[in-house]
Amino acid sequence: MELHHFFTTQRVLIVAGKGGVGKSAVAAALALASARSGVRTLLVSLHSESIEVPANEHLEHVTVTPGGALSDFLSSKGMGLLSRQLARSGIVELVATTAPGLDDLLVLGRIKAYEKDKRADVIIVDGPAAGHAIDFVRAPAQLKRAIPTGPIGQQSDEVITMLTDPNRCKILMVTTAAMTPVMESAEVIHELQHTLGMTLLPIVVNKCERDVPEMSVTTLEAPLRDAYEYASSRLHAQHTALTTLNELTPLEHMLTHRYVTEGADLVESLASELATRIQELS
Amino acid sequence: MSNATVEHMCQSARVIVTCGTGGVGKTSIAAALGVIAATAGRRVVVITIDPAKRLADAIGLTDTLGNEPEQVLISAPGEMWVTMLDVRETFDNLVRSAAPTPQRATEMMENSFYRSLSRSLSGTRDYMAAERLYELYNDDRFDVVIVDTPPSRNALDFLESPERLARFLKHPIVRVLIAPGRGGLRFASAAITPVLKAISSVVGSDALSGVASFLRAFDGMEKEFTQRALAVARTLRSDDTRFVVVTAPSPDALGEADHFVGELSRLKIDLQYVVANRMPPRFGDTSSTDQMNFARNATGDLAAAHTILASLLVDAERAETGIEEFIGRTRAKFPAVHLTAVTEFPTDIHSIEAISALAEQLAAPSWSK
Repeated sequence: MELHHFFTTQRVLIVAGKGGVGKSAVAAALALASARSGVRTLLVSLHSESIEVPANEHLEHVTVTPGGALSDFLSSKGMGLLSRQLARSGIVELVATTAPGLDDLLVLGRIKAYEKDKRADVIIVDGPAAGHAIDFVRAPAQLKRAIPTGPIGQQSDEVITMLTDPNRCKILMVTTAAMTPVMESAEVIHELQHTLGMTLLPIVVNKCERDVPEMSVTTLEAPLRDAYEYASSRLHAQHTALTTLNELTPLEHMLTHRYVTEGADLVESLASELATRIQELS
Repeated sequence: MSNATVEHMCQSARVIVTCGTGGVGKTSIAAALGVIAATAGRRVVVITIDPAKRLADAIGLTDTLGNEPEQVLISAPGEMWVTMLDVRETFDNLVRSAAPTPQRATEMMENSFYRSLSRSLSGTRDYMAAERLYELYNDDRFDVVIVDTPPSRNALDFLESPERLARFLKHPIVRVLIAPGRGGLRFASAAITPVLKAISSVVGSDALSGVASFLRAFDGMEKEFTQRALAVARTLRSDDTRFVVVTAPSPDALGEADHFVGELSRLKIDLQYVVANRMPPRFGDTSSTDQMNFARNATGDLAAAHTILASLLVDAERAETGIEEFIGRTRAKFPAVHLTAVTEFPTDIHSIEAISALAEQLAAPSWSK
C-alpha cells in the first residue's frame, strides 16, 4: 500500500496499546513516516512528558490535556469568563466528578476540533494505555447516557459520530509478541470492533527479536550454548505468541524489531521499518 | 537475615502495595509476593485493580475472577487467595452499609447518576480500590493483603482518593446540593450561585439536578463515607503497609519508575523496596566487547554464536547500568531502599509454577543491594 494512502484513509488515527509495548515510540514513528510521505501530520500526545520526534516540515506535535481542553471548550462556547471562574474556585475537579468521563470527552472533543479545522491531513493520537483505551473511546457514549442534553450531550454525539466513521477515524493497536499483551490486545480489539463499532488498522507487533540461525549446539562451550538456547527459546515463545494472535484476530500484522536505542534515534529506526511494512501491505 | 529483604516484608507486613508502569510484570510480582507470604504460613489475598484481568492470566485461572476472593491451590503452609476489584459491587456494598435504611440504599442505587458514577468513573475506581483494600484488611480470613495497582501513571491516585472524597463531601457547593435548605438551589448563598449556574450551563441543567438528587439520596451517609475514607487513608500510611516499586530495566520503564518514586516521596510515604524485574540474564563472565572480538576472529556457527552472546551481553550490561543509576537516584530520596533483581524468563509467565519460580528468585535473588 502507498504510504500517503495508508495515512489519509482516515483523518484521525488513534494509536493504542498496553504499557511497555512502545506505543508512544510507534505513534511518533508513524507520524514521522506519514510526514515524510508528504502528508501534513499532527501528532497529539495525551501526556506532557512525550517522546522526542525528529523534525520534519510536514509534522506538528501538540500535547492535549483535559484541563487545557476544558478551557478551550468553554472559550469556544463563549464562556471564557466561566473557564477562569472555575479555575479560580478550584472546582474543575468537582465538574469532572459530576460528569464521569468528562476529561476523556474533553480530550476527544479537542481532537475533533483539530479535525474539523483541517489542522492537518492526518491526526495521529498517541492514545492511552490499552486498558484505558476502551474507557477513553467509551466515555462519550457513557456521558451521553448520564447527560443527554446541553453542550456536553451535543459534544458526546459529535465525538461518537467521529469515532464510528471509518473515513474519519481508525484505531491502530500496538502489541509485543508475548502471550499476555497478545491476549489483552485481542480482547481490546474485539471490544473496539463489536461493542463500539470502530474500525481497526493492521496491528503493529513491536519489539520483535531477530532471527537466530540454526546450528548444532553440542560443539559450543557453556556460555555460548546457554546464550544460544536462551535466544532460541525466546524466539520460539515469540512465534507461539504470533500464532495465537493470528488465531484470535483476522487483522493483518506489521512486525517491527526491538532496538537498543531510545528517543529520536529509536523513532527514526522505527519510522523507516514501519514505512517498509506499510508498503508491503496489500 | 537482614530485616530489609523481600522475604521479611512478606512475613511481617499487613498490606503490600506494588506500583509500576505497564509491562514491567507488576501483576506477576504481586502474585509471587503472595506465594512467598503463603509459604511463610500466612493467609494472603492478592487484589488486582487492573481491568485487563492479568492476574487471572498470570496464575492460570481461566474463570473470570470476581469480587469474592478465590483460593489458588498451591502447596504451602499458608493460603493464597486472589480477587479482582468489582467497582460496582464494592460501591453497592458500601452504600448498603452506610445507608440508614435499606430503602434509602435502594433509592440511591436506582439513581441514574449513581449508576453511571459507579460504573465508569476512574476516580470512583481509585476510591473503591482503597475501600476494598480496607475491607479485606479488616477481614479475619486474611493476614496480609497485597494490592496490585493499575498500570497507569496515576496509579497512586487511589492513595489520595479517600482524602479527596472527604474533601469533596465538605465542599460548600456539595453541601448546598446535599441540603439546599428552604427554597432549594435558588436560595443558595450568593457566592455559590454563579458557580452553580456556570456548572449547569456546561453540563446542562438536567445533569445538575440529577447530581443534586444523587447527593440528596446520599444525605446522612456522607459522615459514614468520610470517616471510612479517612480510616482507609490512615491504614495506607501506617507501618502495617509496605510499598514496592516494580520496574524493568528499559529506559521508558525506568522513567516511569522515577515518577512513582517522586510521587511516593511527595505523598510522604516511605519506600523500602524496589524490584528490578525482567533483568536480562548474564551468560558467563566476559563482556560484550570480548564476545564481539571473538566473533570477528571466528567463522561459521561459532562466529554466529559469539554474536548472539555479544548481543545478549549488550542487553545485560545496559540493564545493569540502567538499574544502578535508577537506584542511585532513588537512594537520594529513600536512603534505605532495598533492591532485588529478578532475571527474565525466556517465555511469558502464565502459570502458578512460573509464579512460584519467580517467588523463589525474589526470596533468594541472584543479586540484591
